[in-house]
Amino acid sequence: MLKKIECFLNPSRLDRIKDELVKVGIEGMSVGEVKGFGRQRGYLEGEKINKAVKFLPKIKVEIVVDEGMVEKVIDTIKELCATKTIGAGKIFILPVEDAVRIRTAEVGKSAIY
Amino acid sequence: MREFNPWYMALKHLDEVAEKINLDPNIHNILKKPKRILTVSIPIRMDDGRIEVFTGFRVQHNITRGPAKGGIRYHPQVTLDEIKALAMLMTWKCAVVGIPYGGAKGGIICDPKRLSSGEIERLTRRYISEIISIIGPEKDIPAPDINTNPQIMAWIMDTYSMDKGYSVPGVVTGKPISIGGSLGRNTATARGVMFALMNTIKKLNLNFSQQKIAIQGFGNVGGNLARILQKENCKIIAVSDIKGGIYNPKGLDCFKVSEALEKTGSVTGFNNGEQITNKELLSLNCDILVPAAIENQITKENADKVRAKIIIEAANAPITPEADKILNEKGIFIVPDILANAGGVTVSYFEWVQGLQSYFWTEREVNLKLRDIMEKAFENVWRISQERKVDMRMAAYILAVSRVAEATRIRGLYP
Repeated sequence: MLKKIECFLNPSRLDRIKDELVKVGIEGMSVGEVKGFGRQRGYLEGEKINKAVKFLPKIKVEIVVDEGMVEKVIDTIKELCATKTIGAGKIFILPVEDAVRIRTAEVGKSAIY
Repeated sequence: MREFNPWYMALKHLDEVAEKINLDPNIHNILKKPKRILTVSIPIRMDDGRIEVFTGFRVQHNITRGPAKGGIRYHPQVTLDEIKALAMLMTWKCAVVGIPYGGAKGGIICDPKRLSSGEIERLTRRYISEIISIIGPEKDIPAPDINTNPQIMAWIMDTYSMDKGYSVPGVVTGKPISIGGSLGRNTATARGVMFALMNTIKKLNLNFSQQKIAIQGFGNVGGNLARILQKENCKIIAVSDIKGGIYNPKGLDCFKVSEALEKTGSVTGFNNGEQITNKELLSLNCDILVPAAIENQITKENADKVRAKIIIEAANAPITPEADKILNEKGIFIVPDILANAGGVTVSYFEWVQGLQSYFWTEREVNLKLRDIMEKAFENVWRISQERKVDMRMAAYILAVSRVAEATRIRGLYP
């Protein structure tokens, strides 16, 4: 079964995450610049939090992998992004029902690998 | 009479694997023998008032990994040795795909073409009541095989349920949808064969749409496979049934072939192709050959004429051991029956699971789960064949026998 790993991370770590994940064996990723806030309501560590919620710049990384690779990908991202301060990010793991490679019409795992 | 004994052949396969994996001789001894053999006499009142007595068998080869599972066939040439061999084959098949079943098989010596529907119903019901003490959803679950169909499975379910006093859908699989059959069961074997074929193409780095495919047999497996593959834009250049085959190097329209089969009773009634014999089909210039008819089609007599690069065994034992050797020496890639046609028993397993839960899945769910199981099994067998430098058949047997042997070892010996 395929899983999608969707994470919201600090933009500064992107290049290292990409390089390390390729070493782990991922076959592709998509990245987007997004704005967002989490439990810290858009305030950085040490900043005084008032009523207004703010957006912070983040990157959204999406990777679809075989379920056997999920733990390795999560560990890699965790290791590279663990700042121990607020705003380090979140990782979500979603089930993927199916995938299709449009060029060849391959489906499932074959569409990814 | 058959030219060889299928039971000795099954034992020979087991001996070869045992040697390869250094199987504990004690466990080898256990696996050599069926757990249970039941032979029953089945007296039936025929339509003309006579009573005829048929002979039936149910063999359970092994139940270490779970309840026994296997089809029931009605055929004049059924023998106990054949049923024993097929029961053992079911043990390996369930173990290859990793579903929690042992192996069984059943059969009645009869010619269903000469029996009325009423006679077949009475034969089925009496056979089931004769073997009723050894079957059940947690003991042994029959399924369709040669000359048995969903209607017969419904009679089996009804007979068993009447005996118990309540409905027991989990006692048999391959039932009609209206009494707890699974969506997708009908095309399951064909779909499983297609997954085996697609995985093969992927592993060998070939291009899917460029393969020329020939399929022997146009029944539940061959016919469904041809139509499913055509939907995936594959090129089917030849198909056949018991009366002969048709060939068109530019590709056949398999939906039109199905129409011709319905109208004329044979695929040879399709007029946009050259008429060929079943023998000629096996030696056609094609990339992938799918024997989806009966056993012993490729023998030492015709093996060197095979020109395909890949053979997917959709039927059980379509290649004799001597032929297998010749084909391997020619470098033909063979996906063995216990892997290639395991889609049928896999969706039977899904039907049983759904029946036990009384909760039914959509056809899409069934097909996706089937693909997942077939892909994992293919990957496992492929890996063993690469690591141990053996052909896919040996790799599949290594996987299957190791799993059953490990289950036997860990359970220990009672008492």
